[in-house]
Amino acid sequence: MKVSELAQKTGLAAINEYKDREIERVYISDMVSDLIASARTNSVVVTLQTHKSLIAAANLAGAAMIVIVNGRKPSEDVVALANRTGIGLFSYDLDSWAFAKKLVNLGFE
Amino acid sequence: MGPCNHEWSICNVRHGYFVEEGCFECGARLSFFSAEPVPPIDKYREGRHYWAYLGSFQTVKFDLKCRACAGIVDLNDVNGLMLSECTDRDCQVGALVHQQGPDSLVYVALCPNTSHPTGKCVSSEGIEALNQYFRAKLAPVGRKVTIVPCKLCNSIDKCRGTSIVDVGLTDIQ
Repeated sequence: MKVSELAQKTGLAAINEYKDREIERVYISDMVSDLIASARTNSVVVTLQTHKSLIAAANLAGAAMIVIVNGRKPSEDVVALANRTGIGLFSYDLDSWAFAKKLVNLGFE
Repeated sequence: MGPCNHEWSICNVRHGYFVEEGCFECGARLSFFSAEPVPPIDKYREGRHYWAYLGSFQTVKFDLKCRACAGIVDLNDVNGLMLSECTDRDCQVGALVHQQGPDSLVYVALCPNTSHPTGKCVSSEGIEALNQYFRAKLAPVGRKVTIVPCKLCNSIDKCRGTSIVDVGLTDIQ
C-alpha cells in the first residue's frame, strides 16, 4: 500500500511534500534513538515525538511515513527536514492505539 | 579467497544512557555510555580532572555483523550519531555537507571524548562499516547518507546538528 493510499484510508492529511513510497510494515515507538536499531525500511512510524531528531533517525531507518499522534504538530524546521528526506509526515488526533487499530483493519500485522 | 562483500546487519543492541561530564577545572568534556537503570551522577577526581555530571540522554548502541563472513565490527567507540547541519565551509564536515545533493545527508559519529586529546576517535573500520550498512539499506529507497568521525569537526561543541538521543523520557515529573 502506498503512503497516499494509507493516508486516504485513515483520513490523514499530509503536513509536507513526500515521496509516495510503498508501506510494508509498522513500527510504533516514542523512543527516537530506538528507530535506528529497530525500525525497518518502508515502515510507517507511529509516535508522539515531534523533535527534529525523529526525522534524523527515521531517515537512517529508511522509514517511508511518520504519523504523529495525539494531535501534535511538528515545527517548521522539522517539516523542512522531512521534505529533504521525502518521508511523509502526518498528524493524527487520537492516540497510538487508535491508529494501530486502523492499521490492523487495513491488513497490517 | 577474495575479500568479503559485507552484508551488514545490526547486532548486540544495548539500551542505556549517553552521559556527559565536564571538568570543573579545565573545561574538558567527556561522554560515556551507561547501561545502568539510572545514569551515574557522582562527581569524581581523575588525575588532573574533576569530573561533574552535565546531563544524560537515553540512547541505543549496537554493533554490526556480516551475514556473509560472520565478522563483527565493535561500535563501542560510537556514543551516538548526529545529523550535521554545519554551515562552516572551513570545517571538513561543513564542506562535506555543502557538497551533498538534496537527497543526501551527513551524520557525525560521536566518540566518547570529542575533544580528542589523544587523537583517538571512532575507528576507521567502524566508520567504513556504518557507511556500508546504511548505504546498502537506503539505496533501494533512493536515499544517501555519509557517516564521518567527529574528529573531522572543527569544534563539536559549536557544531550545528541534531543528535539522535531521547531527552526526558525517564525523568520524574
